[in-house]
Amino acid sequence: MSRAAVSPMLVRLAAEKATGALLRDHGTLYLVDGRVVHAESPAAPGVDVLLTTGGRLPREGWDEAVDRAGAHRAVGRFLVDSGRLHDGELEICHLGAVFDAAFFALSPTSGPTRFRYGVGHWFGTVRPVSAEAVERETVRRRELLDAVWPYAAVDTAPVVPRPASPGQTVGARQRVLLAAADGERTPAELARLLGRPAFHTLLDVRRLAAAGLVETPLAPEPAPPPQAFLPALPVADPDIALLRRLRDALEAHL
Amino acid sequence: MANTETSLKEAVTIEGAIGAALVDYTSGMALGTIGGGKELDLNMAAAGNTDVVRAKVRTMEMLGLQEDIEDILITLGSQYHLIRLLKGRGANGLFLYLALDKNRANLAMARHQLKKIEADLEV
Repeated sequence: MSRAAVSPMLVRLAAEKATGALLRDHGTLYLVDGRVVHAESPAAPGVDVLLTTGGRLPREGWDEAVDRAGAHRAVGRFLVDSGRLHDGELEICHLGAVFDAAFFALSPTSGPTRFRYGVGHWFGTVRPVSAEAVERETVRRRELLDAVWPYAAVDTAPVVPRPASPGQTVGARQRVLLAAADGERTPAELARLLGRPAFHTLLDVRRLAAAGLVETPLAPEPAPPPQAFLPALPVADPDIALLRRLRDALEAHL
Repeated sequence: MANTETSLKEAVTIEGAIGAALVDYTSGMALGTIGGGKELDLNMAAAGNTDVVRAKVRTMEMLGLQEDIEDILITLGSQYHLIRLLKGRGANGLFLYLALDKNRANLAMARHQLKKIEADLEV
C-alpha cells in the first residue's frame, strides 16, 4: 500500500540526518541525526502530566529533576539515575508521550512548517525512533480512529455522555472517562485531567460514540457553493449558453 | 532492571521463539518488536491482538471476575502465540507477545521465562 508522506519535510530531514526542531501548527518534533527523540503538542499531555497525575511520581520529584538536569538536557536520565523511575518505565512512558504528541504535531495543516537546526530538547534522548516509524504509526492511528467511528467531530467537541441501554456495559477505563465527562470538557481536557495520552482518550471517545454512549455532534453544515466569479452574461449563441449551463452543472458537482 | 530492548532480546532467546513484541493494548501500538521475519508481521500482530486482549478484559469485567489476566495462549497448527499482560505500577495496558515454533518450544518453560522477563521489565 503506497501512502503519501505525512510530512515531506520530515522525510527529507530524516534523509539528511538533520538535528533540530521541526515546528508545525500543532506541535514540535525534535530530531537528532534524523531520528525522532522527542515531540510536544499542546493537544497532548507531556511526560510530566503522565507521570505525576497517576501518582507515579510526586510533582516535586519531577520539578527537582528538571531543575538539576534540565540545563544539560538529561532530565530522563536523571529520573532513572536518582532511582525515581525504572529504566523500562521511563522508556515506555516517554515513547508513549512522543508518539502521542507526534500524532497531533503531524496532523494535516495548512500552516507553515519550519526547522530550526541544532535545537535540542531539555528532556534529553531516551530512545530515538526512526521518522519512518513515527509516520507509519501516525497514519495507522488516523485509520484506526476512522475505522472505529468515522466522525472526527467527536475529537474536539465537549464529551457529552448518553445513558446506556439496558444490559450495556462499559469497561473500567471508559467508566472513569465517562465519570469525568461533565458535558463541557473536550477529549484533550479529559486526557490531561486523567493523566492519559490524548490519542488513547480520542480512541476511547470514538469507541464510546460508536456504542452510543457519547453524543456525536452533527457535522457542520457544508459550505454553500461558491458564487461564480463572472456574472453570466446573456449570450445570443444557444450553444454557448448550453455549454455554460453544462459547465455550471459540472462545477456544482465538484 | 531492564529496558524494552533487552527484554525483547531475552524473549527471543526462549527456545523456539519466532518473534516478540511489547504492545500498548489501548492504542494497538508496538513499542518494540524483535524477530518475526517475513512470515510474521509483528506490528500487525500487535494491533490485531489488542482486540483479543480488550475482549478478554471486557468479558472478565462483565462476568464480575475480580482477577487479573496473567497470560493468554493461542495454539495454532505449527505455532504457539503467548500473550502476557504486564501489571506493574506504571503499566497502563501493556502486554508482551511471543510467537513460538510449536515443534521446538517447551510451553511450560516458555511461560515461566516470559513471566520472569515481565518481572524484570518492572514497569
